[in-house]
Amino acid sequence: MTLDSIQPNVTRPPRTTRAFRRAFLTIGCAVLACASPHRANAQEAPAFQLPEKVRFNRDIRTIFSKTCFACHGPDANAREADLRLDVRGQAIAERDGARPIVPGSAEDSLAWRLIVTTDPDDQMPPPDFHTQLTAREKALIRKWIDQGAEYETHWAFIPPGKASPPKVNHTDAVRNPIDNFVIRRLETDGLGPTAATDRASLIRRASLDLTGLPPTPGEVQAFVRDPASDDDAFSKAVDHLLASPRFGEHRARYWLDAARYADTSGYQYDRTRHQWVWRDWVINAFNSNLPFDQFTIQQTAGDLLPDATDQTRLATGFHRNHPITIEGGVIDEEYRTEYVMDRVVTTTTTWLGLTFTCARCHNHKYDPIDMDDFYSFYAFFNSVPERGLNGFNPKARISSPLRPDRTVEFTERIAATEKRLSAAIKAAGGSMAAWETKLNKLVSAEAKSVKIDTLSAQGGTKLEKRDDGSVLATGPNPATQTYQIGFTLGDKPTRAIRLEALTHDSHFKKSTGRAHNGNFVLSEVKVEVAEADAGSKFKQARIASAEANYEQKGYPITQAIDGKTGRAGWAIDGNTRFADSSAVFTLKDEIAAGSRVKVSLIHSWGGSHSIGRFRISIPPDGQPPVPAGIRKILDVAAAKRSAADRNRLAGHLALRFGNAEITAISEDLKKLRSQLDAARMAIPETMVLASMPTPRETHVLVRGEYDKPDKSRPIQPNTPRALGTLPEGVPPDRLGLARWLVSRDNPLTARVTVNRFWAQLFGSGLVKTIEDFGSQGEYPSHPELLDWLAVEFMDSGWDVKSLFKTMVMSGTYRQSSKIEPALLQADPDNRLLGRAPRFRLDAETIRDSALAVSGLLDESVGGPSVFPYHPEGLWLEINNRPNYSRAYPHTTDPAQLYRRSLYTFWKRTVAPPSMATFDAPEREFCVVKRSRTNTPLQAFVMLHDPQFIEAARKLAERVIKDGGDGPDDRIRRGFELCLSRQPTESELKLLRTALNEGLQRFKRDPEAANKLLAVGQSPRDPSLDAAELAAYTTLARMLLNLSEFITKG
Amino acid sequence: MDPILESQLSVTRRRFISHAGRVGLGSAALMSLLEPKLFSASGKGVSLAENNGPGYAPGSPGPSHFAPRAKRVIYLCQSGAPSQIDTFDYKPTLEKYDGTELPGSVRMGQRLTGMTARQKSFPVAKSFLPFRQHGNSGQWISDLLPHHGRIADDICIINSTYTEAINHDPAITFFQTGHQQPGRPSLGAWASYGLGSESSDLPAYVVLLDKNTDVQAQPIYSRLWGAGFLPSNHQGVKLRAAGDPVLYLRDPSGTDATGKRKLLDDIAALNAERHKEVGDPEILTRIAAYEMAYRMQMSVPDLTDTSDEPPSTFELYGEDAKNPGTHAANCLLARRLAERGVRFIQLYHRGWDHHSNLPGRHPKIAREVDQGSAALVQDLKRRGLLDDTLIIWGGEFGRTVYKQGNPKTYGRDHHPRCFSIYLAGAGVKGGLRYGQTDDFCYNIVDRENTGVHVHDLNATILHLLGLDHERLTYFFQGRHYRVTDIHGKVVKGVLG
Repeated sequence: MTLDSIQPNVTRPPRTTRAFRRAFLTIGCAVLACASPHRANAQEAPAFQLPEKVRFNRDIRTIFSKTCFACHGPDANAREADLRLDVRGQAIAERDGARPIVPGSAEDSLAWRLIVTTDPDDQMPPPDFHTQLTAREKALIRKWIDQGAEYETHWAFIPPGKASPPKVNHTDAVRNPIDNFVIRRLETDGLGPTAATDRASLIRRASLDLTGLPPTPGEVQAFVRDPASDDDAFSKAVDHLLASPRFGEHRARYWLDAARYADTSGYQYDRTRHQWVWRDWVINAFNSNLPFDQFTIQQTAGDLLPDATDQTRLATGFHRNHPITIEGGVIDEEYRTEYVMDRVVTTTTTWLGLTFTCARCHNHKYDPIDMDDFYSFYAFFNSVPERGLNGFNPKARISSPLRPDRTVEFTERIAATEKRLSAAIKAAGGSMAAWETKLNKLVSAEAKSVKIDTLSAQGGTKLEKRDDGSVLATGPNPATQTYQIGFTLGDKPTRAIRLEALTHDSHFKKSTGRAHNGNFVLSEVKVEVAEADAGSKFKQARIASAEANYEQKGYPITQAIDGKTGRAGWAIDGNTRFADSSAVFTLKDEIAAGSRVKVSLIHSWGGSHSIGRFRISIPPDGQPPVPAGIRKILDVAAAKRSAADRNRLAGHLALRFGNAEITAISEDLKKLRSQLDAARMAIPETMVLASMPTPRETHVLVRGEYDKPDKSRPIQPNTPRALGTLPEGVPPDRLGLARWLVSRDNPLTARVTVNRFWAQLFGSGLVKTIEDFGSQGEYPSHPELLDWLAVEFMDSGWDVKSLFKTMVMSGTYRQSSKIEPALLQADPDNRLLGRAPRFRLDAETIRDSALAVSGLLDESVGGPSVFPYHPEGLWLEINNRPNYSRAYPHTTDPAQLYRRSLYTFWKRTVAPPSMATFDAPEREFCVVKRSRTNTPLQAFVMLHDPQFIEAARKLAERVIKDGGDGPDDRIRRGFELCLSRQPTESELKLLRTALNEGLQRFKRDPEAANKLLAVGQSPRDPSLDAAELAAYTTLARMLLNLSEFITKG
Repeated sequence: MDPILESQLSVTRRRFISHAGRVGLGSAALMSLLEPKLFSASGKGVSLAENNGPGYAPGSPGPSHFAPRAKRVIYLCQSGAPSQIDTFDYKPTLEKYDGTELPGSVRMGQRLTGMTARQKSFPVAKSFLPFRQHGNSGQWISDLLPHHGRIADDICIINSTYTEAINHDPAITFFQTGHQQPGRPSLGAWASYGLGSESSDLPAYVVLLDKNTDVQAQPIYSRLWGAGFLPSNHQGVKLRAAGDPVLYLRDPSGTDATGKRKLLDDIAALNAERHKEVGDPEILTRIAAYEMAYRMQMSVPDLTDTSDEPPSTFELYGEDAKNPGTHAANCLLARRLAERGVRFIQLYHRGWDHHSNLPGRHPKIAREVDQGSAALVQDLKRRGLLDDTLIIWGGEFGRTVYKQGNPKTYGRDHHPRCFSIYLAGAGVKGGLRYGQTDDFCYNIVDRENTGVHVHDLNATILHLLGLDHERLTYFFQGRHYRVTDIHGKVVKGVLG
């Protein structure tokens, strides 16, 4: 047995044009000789039926794509014999006296002759090519040529049109137009729809599909007993499900796979990020039924919208969800390039259903996408101001739409307080002009130097009073120094003391300090005050604030009043900046006129970093200095000041000269502003898109390699040419791209989207290759239905909830899922939808269902990701490098343990293990279709994962407490909760027996019962008998392990 | 296989199964109708994955393109990258260059990592320990790995391995998946997909992580043993040294074996009854999966309990082999897995990444792996398993001949242009030295003809398993993917 392998890149001897010509000239006879018997064979073959009219798109394109296009397709570089078979004009053109395809006559078509020749040198496809034509495929090609060899543009590249629903025989099964298309197709094959399923299983199906959770027994009963008609009752039930917040969570869950969303940054160190805020945006978008076109535009270019808001910017997190490396040593541009590549692949897979990535390194071999197209698309995403290594910027603090935003409250309160303040200022308005005059006087007045009484210094340093009021230090120059200056205040009180550091010729480079390099560091300033009376004692005066006209980096003036000595302090770059500098210290309490004052200047940095010459003075009126900003406003004529400046000045005046009320309000305002800051900081920084002011240049990258830009091929942002162009008047940027993605001219977005939604309900898309709508993809099972849904979706204004309602209201959806042997044989994969699908639920839905039926589920919506049960040591075993990884934060907090699975913290290098076992992806790249396997490891999860054991115990408690008294009623209750139906007699009997046996066993072994009941963090109901609860827990484990529990049918 | 034939086969199988279910066969009887292998060859065996793999008839022993030399692979990945200059690439010429500047004519401006790109001087460092010849073949091996002297005649040392990646994450991802960026299936997943399992109670692809002893070691990640776009049942199953050997393997406390069997029988009976009602063949597959889980649960403790090993085993592997999670213990486990028919055993040892004080730090890691790796080869040989088991030993790249950082306590930076790995067992020439590097151990001599690229190595591994790397493909997103992408050639020179 050999592998059925298909490999387009297999190497084989090149067939030159010359060889092709030779084939033309020499094989004609041979082919003609064998043509007749071959035809006879084809006619005799009864194994397959051919359609009456062979259609290129439906019947021929896939055959050509897999057997011909690799060498005779769109990629000019790989083309053999200079022949294209994907373009009719070239396929039928005469060359060297023959035509590859002669419309109307296969016999005369050289391509056909090469297909049927037995000469291995000429045969097409060549005998060593990986894919050969089957007899049916050959017959189809022959018939198609005989019927005229009509080509069609690839179906997916033609904008969808809305066909009218076809007439059907099974009219009673039609609920809406979807059914016309489906039943018509079934009837073509002599089949028909299956009868509608019962109400209980229908509500279970719809609930799982729309909310990702099973219905409660109450919901089932309400629907089953609803006296309204089936249509009306179901319509009401569906509306109820669509309105549930669970709907958005469930839809978001699929979107997170496509968006490769995770809570860590991937690659080897894989540290935490905070994209959950974006995840909340998605949930909110689905719940508020944001139209899909807006959903698209905001995620692609929400930052570029003319009316962009924080929330539309948050949406662009979609394009920042890719992994980002922090591995030291990587080459920045290499990874930045990968991020852009990732965006291209994710966008084209998610919205266009195209396998764009092929054209990164070479022209696409099957679809009309060349490297220029690829890099034109790439150019849209190439101008994010980001890096490759540690490329987390740009980021923004934007609050989750699902969490209360405390900044809103503080912003409102600030606005109200500002109003109160301006009212208070206005009330004091009469004084405003006078205050301004007073302020102006302050600005123009000179500070007065104080009359010094005493001076002292350490280490023998001499302090010398000079005529200009300054003091010069000379003589010995110890490593640390404290100057003490004593003076008596004049006849006016003061709140401020000014200190100047002055240059002097004796200092290094004529600077201000005594250090060898001319600098100084003033570590601390202390002010002590005593009353004029010589007997009173000095008390320390508190310095409230300080302002300096210059601060050296790392040495702000605030360090000189922080109560600490040491190496921190105020400095002024005295080693490079040789200029006078000054600082003003504002005291908390006014110093009374005539007080005695002692100022200490402490220099403890070391290395003689003391001030060399200084002056102490009292500012005019003893008031704090007027800030530079206010002085600037004063310089402008009152009439010419801006409103903001007027307000600022008024505020300053009020604060300086105003009354107690104004001061109090100002204090409030200050407090609120800092609270607002704190609330803002509590919002995590999440990654968003931005655009560089000047876009990066984009070039075609040779072989797709970051360091091989082909400078001769500069590229402008553009859409793939085969799919149309940007709408008129739209800029060639991401916003333009976003608008094009959802324009009516785009043939793909609506189709690809409805197909993905369809697959969420039906298990498989109408186009089975959800990720590939190109010529290698599968032709739709129901092309007219796909187009009808796509157009309906666009016509509805891209209304997602309405689309889901249309799909689930169809008779097709409401059929029974029972698999009749005849139907299984006729249509094993149910591609024709002759019954409702049955398939295993996804990982998240399985866990959520267990949490729901056990009553453990915490239904709160949104917020930071959570840490439910997790096997010990799983994170550390792959990375225990300090500072790069951390142990899984195990918790007993119920708010973390029982949330829906989409909130589970997703670490890319160790995806949540029980979900990974059920085929959840690692989220390292875009996934639009999960595998659906059935493995023994899944049995381990369902049987042994503590979460499922605990859920079984809680389910058992529920069943005992509200299931009635007898075992039968309780078993029935368990069935209602888990399976939304009643047990059969034999099921009941089996479970009753099992229950009894379990009860006996646990009565014999109470310790075993206690052990089983100890699994999980939730408390056990102490009122229940341990043996009984353990027996029911075992029963509940059986229910949770039934195939039916994890299957949607 | 012809897709139509495949589809007909699939229909036949389903019909058969649904018929069996309808007439009410017991679960034991159903079992015999179903896939007997734990993890089948394709997505369609134990899976309802809508995938389009080759779709072998389930239960087949695994189709090969040609006669395989290796039935199984044990890959001893040395993560972090050992220095070839100090292990397997004997460079006596470096004695005279030691401490001198690496000539620019050798380096030729090739790209360096961000860690040494701005280094001003590139002084050469010779091997810090002497090399010695071993065995009949006279293979040169550094004293860093003394136990390897004993297997010198069994291993084929490839000195001419090279890669394109210069940092750990892309480099190890490249080796293990054939692509530097995440997204492709791992080599073991390809083997599982291509050949299926030979074991009825263990997975086809098992992963062992040696306990990490170096806090600065490079992390590893589950993508290295992931299934990529292949059906996820082909991903590697980690066998853990601590906790449950396989995640969620153990029964909850308070339950016993009798209760467990009863529970499974009851679940199977209920499932079978439901199958009668709704006719879904997938229910039968699930019954089978639960049975297989039961068998696996029984067999894993037997696998990991090495108390049945004779003293000679621990003489060979060393006392470390009694300590779960050491390299020696995992090598012993690898042998036990090989004996039980596991197809692909992937082991990781971390801690070789020494950018500083390499002469001080390399010996510690070497001591951790030396005896276990060598013992595994000897052990397989004496049990006759080496003939059809392929061993691969190597890191994701090599290390530079020039010193990184302080010349006294130097480290060596990443070096992708040439490094050494070795192969042993099935169909590989023992005692052979393949490929040659230049006097500075910086470039490969005649890379065109004797260089072994990552893709070449992977092509060779598949070849030994009986798979043609150009024909082992998976159709995904419109094209047929291979582990070797569009590259790779089998290294015929190493084959016996």
